[in-house]
Amino acid sequence: MSHHSKLPKALALLAASAMMFTGLAACGDDKGGTDATDTPAASQTEEAPPVDTSDQTEAADEETTPAGTEDTEPASTEPGVDDGTELTMWTRAPLERQANMLVDAYNASHQNQVKLEIIPNDDMEAKVAAAVVSGGMPDLLAGDVVRLPYWVDQGFFTPITDKIQALPYYDDLAVGHIDAGKSNDGALHTVPFVTDISVMVWNKDLYEEAGLDPEKGPTTLQEFVDQAKAVADLNKEGVAGTYFGGDCGGCLVFTWFPFVWGNGSEVLSADGTESLMASDDAKAVYAAFRELAEYPNGLGAGTKEENGGTWTAPFAEGKIGVMPYPNTSATGARDAGINVGAAPIPGINSGFSTFLGGDAMGITSGSEKVDQAWNFLAWLTSEDAQLNVIAADAGVPARVSLLDNEFTAQDPLAVAMNSSVANGRTPVAIYFAEAFNASGSPWVQTFRAAVWGDADEVDALNDEITAVLQQ
Amino acid sequence: MSSAAATPVKPKKRLSIQRRNLRGWGYASPVAAVVLVFFVGPLVLMMYMSGTDWKMAGNQGTNFPDNFKDVVSQRQFWPSILFTLKYTVIATVLLIGLGLALAMLVQESSRWRGFLRTAFLIPTSVGLASASLLFYALYSPAVGPFKGILAKFGVDAILGTSWGALIGTVFLIVWRYTGFYMLLLLVGLQGISGDLYEAARIDGASSGQIFRKITFPLLRPSLALCIIMCVTGSLLAFDQFYILTKGAPDNSTITVVYLLYKLAFETKKHLGMGAALGVIILIALVLINIFQLKVLRGDEDE
Amino acid sequence: MSKKLVKRSPMAQFAIRTPYYVLTLGLAIIFMYPLLWTAIKSFAPQGGSIGQPEGWGVGNYETLFNYQAGIWVYLKNSLLITILCVVFTLVLSTLGGYAFARFSFPGKNLLFLLVLSILMVPYATLLLPLIIWLKNLHLAGAGAILGGRLGVAIVLAVFQLPFAVYMMRISFEAIPKEIEEAALIDGCGSLGALLRIMLYAVKPGLITVGIFAFLAAWNDFMVPLFLLNSGDNSPMPLAMVNMRQQVMGTIDYGVTEAGVVFLTVPCVILFLALQRHYVRGFMSGALKG
Repeated sequence: MSHHSKLPKALALLAASAMMFTGLAACGDDKGGTDATDTPAASQTEEAPPVDTSDQTEAADEETTPAGTEDTEPASTEPGVDDGTELTMWTRAPLERQANMLVDAYNASHQNQVKLEIIPNDDMEAKVAAAVVSGGMPDLLAGDVVRLPYWVDQGFFTPITDKIQALPYYDDLAVGHIDAGKSNDGALHTVPFVTDISVMVWNKDLYEEAGLDPEKGPTTLQEFVDQAKAVADLNKEGVAGTYFGGDCGGCLVFTWFPFVWGNGSEVLSADGTESLMASDDAKAVYAAFRELAEYPNGLGAGTKEENGGTWTAPFAEGKIGVMPYPNTSATGARDAGINVGAAPIPGINSGFSTFLGGDAMGITSGSEKVDQAWNFLAWLTSEDAQLNVIAADAGVPARVSLLDNEFTAQDPLAVAMNSSVANGRTPVAIYFAEAFNASGSPWVQTFRAAVWGDADEVDALNDEITAVLQQ
Repeated sequence: MSSAAATPVKPKKRLSIQRRNLRGWGYASPVAAVVLVFFVGPLVLMMYMSGTDWKMAGNQGTNFPDNFKDVVSQRQFWPSILFTLKYTVIATVLLIGLGLALAMLVQESSRWRGFLRTAFLIPTSVGLASASLLFYALYSPAVGPFKGILAKFGVDAILGTSWGALIGTVFLIVWRYTGFYMLLLLVGLQGISGDLYEAARIDGASSGQIFRKITFPLLRPSLALCIIMCVTGSLLAFDQFYILTKGAPDNSTITVVYLLYKLAFETKKHLGMGAALGVIILIALVLINIFQLKVLRGDEDE
Repeated sequence: MSKKLVKRSPMAQFAIRTPYYVLTLGLAIIFMYPLLWTAIKSFAPQGGSIGQPEGWGVGNYETLFNYQAGIWVYLKNSLLITILCVVFTLVLSTLGGYAFARFSFPGKNLLFLLVLSILMVPYATLLLPLIIWLKNLHLAGAGAILGGRLGVAIVLAVFQLPFAVYMMRISFEAIPKEIEEAALIDGCGSLGALLRIMLYAVKPGLITVGIFAFLAAWNDFMVPLFLLNSGDNSPMPLAMVNMRQQVMGTIDYGVTEAGVVFLTVPCVILFLALQRHYVRGFMSGALKG
C-alpha cells in the first residue's frame, strides 16, 4: 500500500480491485480462524462450533504444555512461562484502578510485561467485535461476568480447563467467575479478575438524625423501606431516603437481585432461558420501591432518569439514607468523608445475598502466548496477588479462604462485605446482557413499569425478557 | 504573474479534447482512487455482509433475506424511524429558520455585527463529541447550572422525559450547527445584488414583501443546499444521542443509526443485521434526496 | 434601513437601537455561555472530581495531564492524525476540485455524485467493513502502518471529501478563466499554473477545507476507537472519554470539563485566527452563484 502512489494510475486501479477480492477472501479466512470446523450447516446450530473449537484447541494444549511448563504438576514454582514476553491486556474503564494495581505488581515481580489498555465501558463490545474482525485481540481479555457467556459462546477465549483445575487452590476460587466462562461442553475459560459485590450501605449520620440506630442496617425488605422513610421524613434539603439507577438495567440486576436470592428464590431458571422476575418475591421488591417512589423524599432527585452514569454519586455526597451499593464505591464514599455503615443485602423476609459481579479474565483464542498469559492468570489467583494487592486495597479476594485476612480484620466495612460473599450469586445466561443490561432492555421496561408505570404490565414484560433469553 | 496577466492574448493552440480529458482524469484520479479503495470497496463489503449471518465471531454463511426481515420485525424498528423523522423535521426547521434569521441579522458589516457573527460561529469549532459531553454536564442534575431553576418548575432532569431529551438534543444541535447554516445562507444573501433591494424600496415595497418577492426566491439555491445537507445529516444522527441520551428514557430517543449500532454491537451483536439496516438507510436516503432535488429544483423552474 | 435611521433624532435612534443591542447581545451570550460555563467550571470545586474536590485550582487539568501514559502521548497522536488528515484532504480536494471545475471528462458527473454520496452512508455501518478492509491493506489491526494512525487519518479524510471537493470545486469555478489562461501562455504547464496562481486564488477555500478537516480529525472519537489497536496510538478524545468514567457509577465531571476545554481551545484559537479567510472561503464560492 505504501508504494501505491508511485504506481501508474491504471495499475493503481487494478491493485484496488485486486484488494477488493483479497478483502473478501480474507473474510472467509477469518471465520476459519475462529471456528475450527466450519461448514455452514454446522454453524447453524448454536452450540456446535464452540464445542468443536474447544476440543481441538484443548488437544493442542495437552500436546504442547507438558514440554515447556510445570503446568501438570503444580509445585511451589509458578505455572506458565515467565520469559520476558510482552502481553497485551484489555479491561473496561470502571476497573481501571484495580487493573493498574494488579498489572504494576505483576510487572514489578516478573520478566513478562503486561501492557494494559483501558476501553470505555460502553464501547467494550464494539471494540471487541472490531478486534475480532481485524485480528487485533489482546492476549488477555477481561469482561463483565454477565457479558462473558456470550463471548465464550462465540469462541473468543482459549479453553484452559486443565490449567485452571490443576491449580492447587482450585476449589478455593470464587465459583461465579469460573462459571461465567464455562462453555456448554463444560470447558473452562476464565478466572476471577476483579470482584465487585453489592452490599447495603447507609449513612450513619443521617440515621442518627432520623433517630435510627446508626450501627444497625436493614435486615428485611420492610426494614429497608421503613428506614428509608425515616430518613425521608427528615425533610432536609437535597436529602432522600434511597436512590437507584431508575433507567439502568445493570445497576438493578446488581442491587435488586440479592433481595430475591436472599429470600431463597431464583431470578432465572437453572438453564438461563427463563426469567422469573414476575414471581411474587420479585413483585414484592418492586412494590417496596414503588412505595418509596410515592413517598415524599423517598427517592433522590433524578432517580427515574438515572442511567447508571452517576448512580453512586448521591450517596457519596451524603444525600441518601440507605441503598444497595457496590463495595468498590463504598470505600470511596468513606474516603470522601461519609460515615458509612455496611451490611449484606437482606432477603425479603430473611437471609441475605449479594451479586458476585465484576470481571473475569481469560486468554483470547487467537493468542500465541498462551503459556505466558497463563503465568499472569495463575499469579492473579495466587495468594500473593489476592492478599497483597487486592485485599490490601480493600477489595474482595477471589479466594474464599482469604476473605478473612489481616487487612479486612482492621476494616469493619470489609468484614461486612466479605461476609456476604459466601451467599453470593452470579446469573449466567448467554443473552443475559441483551435481556437485562442493554439500555431500554425488557428488564428496564419491567421495573420502570412496576415502580412508576402500570404494575400490571410486569407479567407481559417478563415474558419479553424470557423471549430474549430464549432466542 | 503580473506581466502575464497584463497581456490578454488568446492561447496559440487549444488543447485537443482527448488531451484535456486525459488531464481531467489525471487530476481527478487521486480522488477516484481513494473513493474507490476506501469508500466503494467497504460499501460493497457492507452490502455483502448484509446478506450473511455475520456475528461477532465472523461470517457464518449466507442469510440473505432473513437479515432484512429480522431488522424490520425488530420492536424498535418503526419507532426509531418515526423518531428520526420527528427529529429531522424539528432540527431542519429550527436550523434553517434560525440560520436564516441570524444571517439576515449579521448580513451588513459593522463592528458589532462582526462580533455577533463570531459569537454564532464559535460553537461550530467544537467537535460534536466534545459538545455532547459539554451539554451532558450542562444538563446534569448533579453539576448543571439549571437545576435550581428547573426544580422550581418540577423538572428533575432535562433528559428525563422523552420530550425533554429530544428538545435537549435539538438545543445542542442548534447551538453547534446554526452558525454553519448561517454562514451558508449568508453567502447566498451576499450573492443577491443590492440594486434589487434598492429598486424595490423605491417602488415602496414593505420589508415583508421584499423578503417574499426578492430575498426568498433568490436565496432558493442556497436554501436547497442547506436543506439537503441538514436533512441528510439529521437522518443519520448518532453521536449526539449516543453520548447525550443513550436512547433513554424508555428507548424514546433511538434514531435509525443508533438502532443499527445497537443491533450490531449491543443487543443482537449481529453485524449482518447492522449492515442490512445500513443498506435500508442508504436506499431510503438516496430516494429521499432524489425527491428533495426534484422538489427543490422543480420549484426553481416555475 | 440605515438611511431611514439617519433622519431620526439621536434620542429616537437610541430608543430604537437599545432593544436591538440588548436582544443581539443576549443571543451572543446564549451562544457563548456553554463554553464559558465549562471553562469556569473546570477550575471550580465539585464533588466526584478526583483532581479538584474542593477549592478552586487546576486539579482537573493535573488529572488530565497525568492520565495513563501522560497527555503528551495522546496529544502527539492527535497531532499526527490531524496533520495527515488535513494534508490528505487538501491534496485530494484541490486536485479533484480543479478537475471538476476546469475539465470535462467522461464519468465526471458520476464521480462527483459518488464523492457526494459519501455523505449518505451512515459511518456506523461503514466502519466495520472498513476494519476488515483496512486490515488487508495493513492500515488497521495488528502490525498496521503507523500503528493504524495512517488508516485513521485516511478514513477521516474520506469522510471529509464530499464537503472538501465541493468547496474546492466552487472555489476554482469562481476564478475567472482569464487568470488561468494567462498563466498558461506564460509557459507553464497546467500543473505549474495550478500551483503558482490558482492555489493563491483559492486560498480562502483551502483554509476553509483545512479548518473543517482539522476540526473533524482533532475531535473524532469513533473512528480511532474502532481502527486503533493499542492505547499508545490513541488520540485525545479517546483518552478523554475513558477519563469521564472514573469508578463504577460516578462520572468525573471535573476532568470531563477540563478535557472539553483542552480539546476545544486549540480549535477556537485556530478558528479566530483564520476566521476572516474561513468566511471568505464560503463567500468566494458564492461569486459564481
